[in-house]
Amino acid sequence: MDLRVSNYFDRSKKVIISVNNKKIEAYEGECLALVLFVNNIKKLRLSPKKKQSRGIFCLMGSCQECVVLIDDKKVISCNIFIKDGMKIKVGDFDK
Amino acid sequence: MAILINNRKYDVIVIGAGPSGVSSAVNCAKKGLKVLIVDLNSNTGGQIYRAPPKTYKSISKKLKENEIQKQLSNEIKKFKIETAYNHTVWQVSPGFKVNAFNETSTIQWQSKSLIIATGTYEKIIPFEGWTIPGVIGLAACTIILKAHHFIPSKKIVLAGNGPLLMLVAYYVIQFGGKIDAIVDTSSKIDWIKSSFSLMTNPKNFRDGIKWVFKIFLNRIPVYSNSTIEKAFEVDEGIKLKIRNLKTGKAKNIISETIAIGHGLIPSTDITRLLRAEHIYDEQKGGWIAKVDRFLRSSVRGVYLAGDGAGISGALAASDKGLLASSTLLYDEKIISQKEFDQNTYKILKKLDKYEVFSKAISKLNSTPKKIIENIDNGTVICRCEDITKSEILRAVDQGARDINQIKSWTRLGMGPCQGRTCQYAASKIVAEYLNYEIDNLGYLTGRSPIRPVPLDRVLGDFDYEKITKVEAAPL
Repeated sequence: MDLRVSNYFDRSKKVIISVNNKKIEAYEGECLALVLFVNNIKKLRLSPKKKQSRGIFCLMGSCQECVVLIDDKKVISCNIFIKDGMKIKVGDFDK
Repeated sequence: MAILINNRKYDVIVIGAGPSGVSSAVNCAKKGLKVLIVDLNSNTGGQIYRAPPKTYKSISKKLKENEIQKQLSNEIKKFKIETAYNHTVWQVSPGFKVNAFNETSTIQWQSKSLIIATGTYEKIIPFEGWTIPGVIGLAACTIILKAHHFIPSKKIVLAGNGPLLMLVAYYVIQFGGKIDAIVDTSSKIDWIKSSFSLMTNPKNFRDGIKWVFKIFLNRIPVYSNSTIEKAFEVDEGIKLKIRNLKTGKAKNIISETIAIGHGLIPSTDITRLLRAEHIYDEQKGGWIAKVDRFLRSSVRGVYLAGDGAGISGALAASDKGLLASSTLLYDEKIISQKEFDQNTYKILKKLDKYEVFSKAISKLNSTPKKIIENIDNGTVICRCEDITKSEILRAVDQGARDINQIKSWTRLGMGPCQGRTCQYAASKIVAEYLNYEIDNLGYLTGRSPIRPVPLDRVLGDFDYEKITKVEAAPL
């Protein structure tokens, strides 16, 4: 089931991004945090002490939970728009 | 990339481009002031009318919220207001200097006055398992649905309280998703009681009726007087233990995504940095910047628009923007006493009317004592630093009596979110434990950066050889 709602908007062109070297299809300009979420990539990073998996939470740039690595730099993924060829790392990237 | 100092000085910088930010900016621009409007999103709209990504092409069918957002953007363009979208404000200092960063660099702007229209973020009371990926905010859900046009998952449970439960339910069903359950801390009687006050705002009331009707028609199970007590990961998704707060009965449900929210908290990041006075008002969302009737803060030249100085909702937001900006124009002697009185008389009357509505909403969003008591001692409260309820209570047992002491003791609120996610719940837990009035605990002192700043954007381009090296101190 595609979780995209297409009643109101046409998405832009399809592109390929990679998440931990696995290829994923998405549309240019979509929100990275959501593309990951609907592709069932929900565990984005580990918490500092308990090393619990964490994922998207507030989606408005407040909670800072949805941090991933893009080109080895930490960013909050709810504020990132998909670009072709984006290389993303999720999981235990602090080690 | 270095810090860019923008030498253009502005008469006013408006922080936040939601409905109240836009109406303030337009009102000031109309009177010839040099205005800059800043927002971390890529367009106007704030969270309530958050714009879809720029690459989305509108087709014939339109969503009301997306249309309102377009009108806001048109207003900004019509009055040729300077914009700085995609800019995250991380420091504001007296004078006023506003520091922000975007994808590549850091920038500093200066202005004589500030209008703070930074809105709210979501209030969420923790439960054991709320940190599991797949548990998200209700407000996050509205953004997923109305701005990004996704359904969060095939199946979802909505929990918490207030109108957002109903709104999210409506859109999930409308967009073809499945709701396994709605878990509401309020009772059906609470809703009926509030409906008389909610009717004072017929437009929103009609929307509410439409939402409830849809939930009823689709036979969505609604658990009133109930809360999620525990969530854990299972193969099929997330298993929930739902507890009825009145009867004590428990029920288990398995779903994919859990969306939870207990109302909204006004953003006080910037007013706390500026050391403005704050007051505690549970009904208005907790700690808020103290303002007079005309939305002046206690710091000269700083005005609050929108929900920042107390929740009153989207409809009141643009009026509050008009009020804050008219006050600024009057204080700066740009409009006369007569014009000011004329402008504000009608707005204040309208705002009084909205007050009845927002009080009813905040009642539905009140935090039952029982759900605070119910939080298990092992539950992580501060997500950034992994601080549990029992660690907080241990600090209290050792003598911490103020939220800043608890911060020093435990690191609660010291992480990247700066306490935005946990301060409310942590204070509630401590107040409950000590049987204290919550305002006695104070609020977290504002510290910059209010958002994490990527170091590559402040370091600047330089060669190592060109750095002046200082002799090491003799041992």
